[in-house]
Amino acid sequence: MRALRNAMMRLSGSLRQRTAEPELEEEIQFHIDMQTAKNLRLGMSPDEARRAALVSFGGRERFKEEARDEYRSRPVEDLVQDLRYGVRSALGAPLFSLLAVLTLALGIGANAAVFGVVKSVLLDALPYADADRLVRVYSRLEDGSLARSPLSAGAVTDIARRQRSFSRLAPFMHWTPDLAYADDRGPQLVKGAMVGRGFFQTLGVRALLGRTLADADAAPGAPVVAVLGYDAWQRMFVGDPQVLGRTGSVNGTSFEVVGVLPRGFVGPMGEADLWIPLDLGPALSDPVRARQSHWLGLVGRLAPGATVEGAQREVDTIAAALAREYPDSDAGRLFTSEPLRDSMVGDTRTPLLVLMASAGLVLLITCANLAGALLSRALSRRKEFAVRVALGAGRGRLVRQLLTESAVLALAGGAAGILLAALGLAALRELALTVLPAYADLTLDGGAVLVTSVLALCTGFAFGVVPALSVSRSNPQGMLRDESRGTSETKRSRRLRGVLVAGQIALSVSLLAGAGLLARSLWAMTTAPLGFDPEGVLTVGVSLPPSEYTTPEASGRLYQQLEERLRALPGVTGVGSVSELPAPSMDRNGLTIEGETWPPEAGPPFIITTSVSDGYFQTMGIPLLRGRTFGTSDRPDTPHAIVISEGMARRYWPGGRALGARIRLGNASAPWAEVIGIVGNVRNDPALPDPEPMAYASLRQDPWGSRTVLVRTEGDPLALVRPFQRELAALDPGIPTRDPMTLRAYLADGLAGRRLPVVLMTAFGALALLLASVGVYAMFASMVAAREWEFGLRVTLGSPRRAIAALVLWAGAAWMAAGLAGGAVGVVVVARLLRNLLYGVPPFDPVALGASVAILLACGTVALLVPVRRATRVDPITAIKV
Amino acid sequence: MTDKNTDKITDKNRGDLLQGTLDMLVLKALQLEPMHGWGITERIEQWSQKVLQVNQGSLYPALYRLQRQGWITSSWKTTENNRRARYYELTAAGRAQLAAEQESWERLSEAVNLVLRMSAT
Repeated sequence: MRALRNAMMRLSGSLRQRTAEPELEEEIQFHIDMQTAKNLRLGMSPDEARRAALVSFGGRERFKEEARDEYRSRPVEDLVQDLRYGVRSALGAPLFSLLAVLTLALGIGANAAVFGVVKSVLLDALPYADADRLVRVYSRLEDGSLARSPLSAGAVTDIARRQRSFSRLAPFMHWTPDLAYADDRGPQLVKGAMVGRGFFQTLGVRALLGRTLADADAAPGAPVVAVLGYDAWQRMFVGDPQVLGRTGSVNGTSFEVVGVLPRGFVGPMGEADLWIPLDLGPALSDPVRARQSHWLGLVGRLAPGATVEGAQREVDTIAAALAREYPDSDAGRLFTSEPLRDSMVGDTRTPLLVLMASAGLVLLITCANLAGALLSRALSRRKEFAVRVALGAGRGRLVRQLLTESAVLALAGGAAGILLAALGLAALRELALTVLPAYADLTLDGGAVLVTSVLALCTGFAFGVVPALSVSRSNPQGMLRDESRGTSETKRSRRLRGVLVAGQIALSVSLLAGAGLLARSLWAMTTAPLGFDPEGVLTVGVSLPPSEYTTPEASGRLYQQLEERLRALPGVTGVGSVSELPAPSMDRNGLTIEGETWPPEAGPPFIITTSVSDGYFQTMGIPLLRGRTFGTSDRPDTPHAIVISEGMARRYWPGGRALGARIRLGNASAPWAEVIGIVGNVRNDPALPDPEPMAYASLRQDPWGSRTVLVRTEGDPLALVRPFQRELAALDPGIPTRDPMTLRAYLADGLAGRRLPVVLMTAFGALALLLASVGVYAMFASMVAAREWEFGLRVTLGSPRRAIAALVLWAGAAWMAAGLAGGAVGVVVVARLLRNLLYGVPPFDPVALGASVAILLACGTVALLVPVRRATRVDPITAIKV
Repeated sequence: MTDKNTDKITDKNRGDLLQGTLDMLVLKALQLEPMHGWGITERIEQWSQKVLQVNQGSLYPALYRLQRQGWITSSWKTTENNRRARYYELTAAGRAQLAAEQESWERLSEAVNLVLRMSAT
């Protein structure tokens, strides 16, 4: 009840404050007048009477302040005043304010940007209806040599028939093949996605225009139709709203457009331009292809009540049953079912979490730095506070003032931080495009901005207010006297600042060590020998339309002519072609060696297999170690020849009898072949330390219509792009090509995913280093400033300046040592976290760790030397003057 | 400077007892009739035969405090000399509070006196 009345009084007081102020004045005036009159009656002179009355009243303003405090609060007026004062005091100390705002901006900006990425990749909804219920089924080999690999048509059909966990299941082609698309503007290569019955229904995606694919579209003899991806609609049909019913041709077959997919849609297999119905019928009717050819992805929607774990158990049971029923093809094969999101996020998860952790560390450093800055600012303002307390300012009033000042700084920092985050995301969008999952749409996340801002604000508030509390508690008179004599900050607050600085150093060392480890890994990846010479080679993808090149002979002839023409170009030293360039994920085939059987429970190993032209090894610079490579003697009608890598020879023929061995790569319909040569190892995945076994077939015997042509030149490879296209057009102007690029650039693209965390973590490390250096500087600069008088006195009394420098240096060295000790713990954590991302570098690599400590020490020392210099230059006069 | 007589008790040194005492004295001064601030100091001085001098710097905060507690109310009136002044008036709650405080004060001072007399003999 009383509290309520108080509140009412205060409220009405604040509403009435304009009228209350003169009333209070009038009341005091009345009192003084009455006292004056009384004094006159007592026989004083008028002047004396009035002065005595005034004096008896005491400090008039102070009394008014107290009466006011008793009477009412003035929230609005005080806030405006505090704000004005806050801005003024921020402008009055521009260096401090700039520092605080920048620190905050960097911390908030880095976090909001990184969290934007993490959220769009790990947390945002996939572009499907109720995406959490979608599951992807993979096949893997029991021996671990294949994971997340495609399924056979037979396996897909059997899973669909026997399962109960999914309400819908849809197969699709595991990858997106290049299709030769042609319209009146000429040929071009587009990405095609082949999707089975119920694919769009399973994902719950509707068409933007027209319809998605229906079951009837895949039936044999149905008219050929396709659905366009949004980007393809814009690019190939210029966004024509009348696109439905228009026709085009892929690989020589004409099709009709029946629909356009919504913007941002991306399939589980990736982005594609054309979505084409897939009929499993022909594959299933071929007894060999049905079970031994693994090329299908499978996505399912969990039935109500079903779980991913339940689905996993079910596919385990099915896998065991299939292994019994089809021991030749399905032994040793297991299925995995995992949430579709996990399968699409893929390998980006670990680097992203590492980044998130780095950004979090930077935020911690930001907070520590801000705390230190506010603390020293509050300390240097103790005199000001003391004066204000002496003049009658209440403790609550001081605290509120400081809160407002912190808020002004925090708001400015937060605004700058959000701006930085937006810029950072724009930069990341460029850098990360090829690395992140296709559905990721990098946007600033409101929640992240909010959380980081609140954290920074709280730090500002907490450390801005604590010193004010201690000031208002203490005796202002003593403080004023002390302060004018230049006493330094208290031991306790200096220790707090020291801990903050040490913490910053510890965090910075951890971040720098992480960045160093990742950078060394990337260096090792890019510099370790690849097994071929990537300099001076142009690569061009060429795809022959199968409708025009119907026989292997026809396509073989064209490539032969093309290679001859290219070889005749000036400066060209080698020409070759290959079905697939070395890449982390390549075609693999089951290996059978004549006269040997694999353990039945494991099944055959899967070996990377590519088909190459005669000139491939010479053009790539892959050395022949034994035997021979392919030549004109290898014809379709002669026994098949295989060249294998050294690693494969060692693994499967440890006795050294590889040459002349008869092997089969692929299913039972594949021909037996003879190993005719052994070549050097090639690291197909630069992120893996060991080269995988590889086998090469001849394009003469295993012809491919779609190849990558390589041209080695003495000059600039890109100068050959025009001549290349001219020669190809001279043979057939209707053949589409894929972006020509140097082999070096192709490899760099493959490493982009590895480079992103390195770049970002290095950036965070640099940021942390900068902030920590600023922290060290700020702490010791304010320490020296506070002890200037003391140092002056020491100099006056004969202390050598060396001793003063040593004094400051020792204090600095002690805290830095403490920071490094704490950093050791951080380094262990970081090394553990990064272990899976490292390549060719031990987690506790002395070079990376030593360099990070050295860099930090160097920066810390520079930051320390400035205040030390100042301390030694203190003018002894300052000590005498006061 | 104001206290020429050193034996005068002023409320400069504001302890809990004195602050409570000042509040009680103000309520007592207002018991008979509404009065303005200056009148209250005069009345307390008179009644205490100039022993108690109220510092104005304490009086007005005390008046606001009492108002906030709902024991007195105030209004602007004209004095006999035709000047505007703020008059304070006891409320019913204030009267009850005065009675309570007076009783507890008397009990306390009686007790103190008892103790003092015992030790005097």
